[in-house]
Amino acid sequence: MKVVDLIFRLVMGGIFIASAVAKIWNVQVSHAHGMEFSHVPDLAAFAKDVANYHVPPRALANLVAITLPWIELLAGGLLVCGIWKRASALVITALMVVFLAAIGWALAHGYDIRCGCFGTVEARKVGVVALLEDGAMLAMAAWLAWRLNDGSAANNGGKS
Amino acid sequence: MRRTIQRALVIVLAGAVLGLAANAVSPRRIPYLTPRKAASRAEDTVALQQAQELWASGSAFFLDAREPADYAAGHIAGALSLPIEEFNDRFAPVERMLTPDATIIIYCDGLDCDLSERLMVRLRELGYHNVRHLVNGWSAWRRAELATHTGELP
Repeated sequence: MKVVDLIFRLVMGGIFIASAVAKIWNVQVSHAHGMEFSHVPDLAAFAKDVANYHVPPRALANLVAITLPWIELLAGGLLVCGIWKRASALVITALMVVFLAAIGWALAHGYDIRCGCFGTVEARKVGVVALLEDGAMLAMAAWLAWRLNDGSAANNGGKS
Repeated sequence: MRRTIQRALVIVLAGAVLGLAANAVSPRRIPYLTPRKAASRAEDTVALQQAQELWASGSAFFLDAREPADYAAGHIAGALSLPIEEFNDRFAPVERMLTPDATIIIYCDGLDCDLSERLMVRLRELGYHNVRHLVNGWSAWRRAELATHTGELP
């Protein structure tokens, strides 16, 4: 099972790092221009995507867009590096619950909006596929939050 | 478990602080609070009913300001594609069909979509004065079950 833990850690951490980078630096991929990105943090496009969900109060959409990708980046980075693994898995699990709820909310209201899941890298709309993907990621994250320990258990008199 | 939760909170707080700092130093920083959008001025918009009448009489040009992929997936029948993001590349063929006095109705999709307003401003700068936009156009049109087409052209 250690192998499964490792694979899930690298996959989930990697996904979170990649999606955070895409959001922060406004990475865009098109057939015509290949990959383009901003050289400085550029969150305007992502903030728009956040606002379109109508989940946070409209005034707070920017604040979410400013902070969320960096929390993702930090949690993903720590998970991959194996530092505070369980805590970062817990953060990622909580975020996946929020993302799933937001996508469910958008679908329930019939919003025809860009997912924003990977920033602006993909023009993909919110839909059932995104819901299923996020469900699978939530399962992986929850598994990690359940399974991993940050070393403190080993000092519990060997109870683990 | 308590320690894990404490650490998780530290991660969230540290990430938030990082984000605030990164935004503060970025030349492309965005405001911390989302600015309230100025409400559309009434004279800039056209009601669905009136848009439909203009469409039925064939006396107005309909321009779709959304991305080409959205246009291809479905648009108001007879509307031309003019994505604001690609204005310079795509305006020439549309320009040939317009006169300065033409009645032009622009739409995109969603109540928050500002593509049509941006296109309206652009066209007014070029001297087209009879331009208005249909708020939440594509959704409203579809909901009213009015005529639509799919595909890339025209």
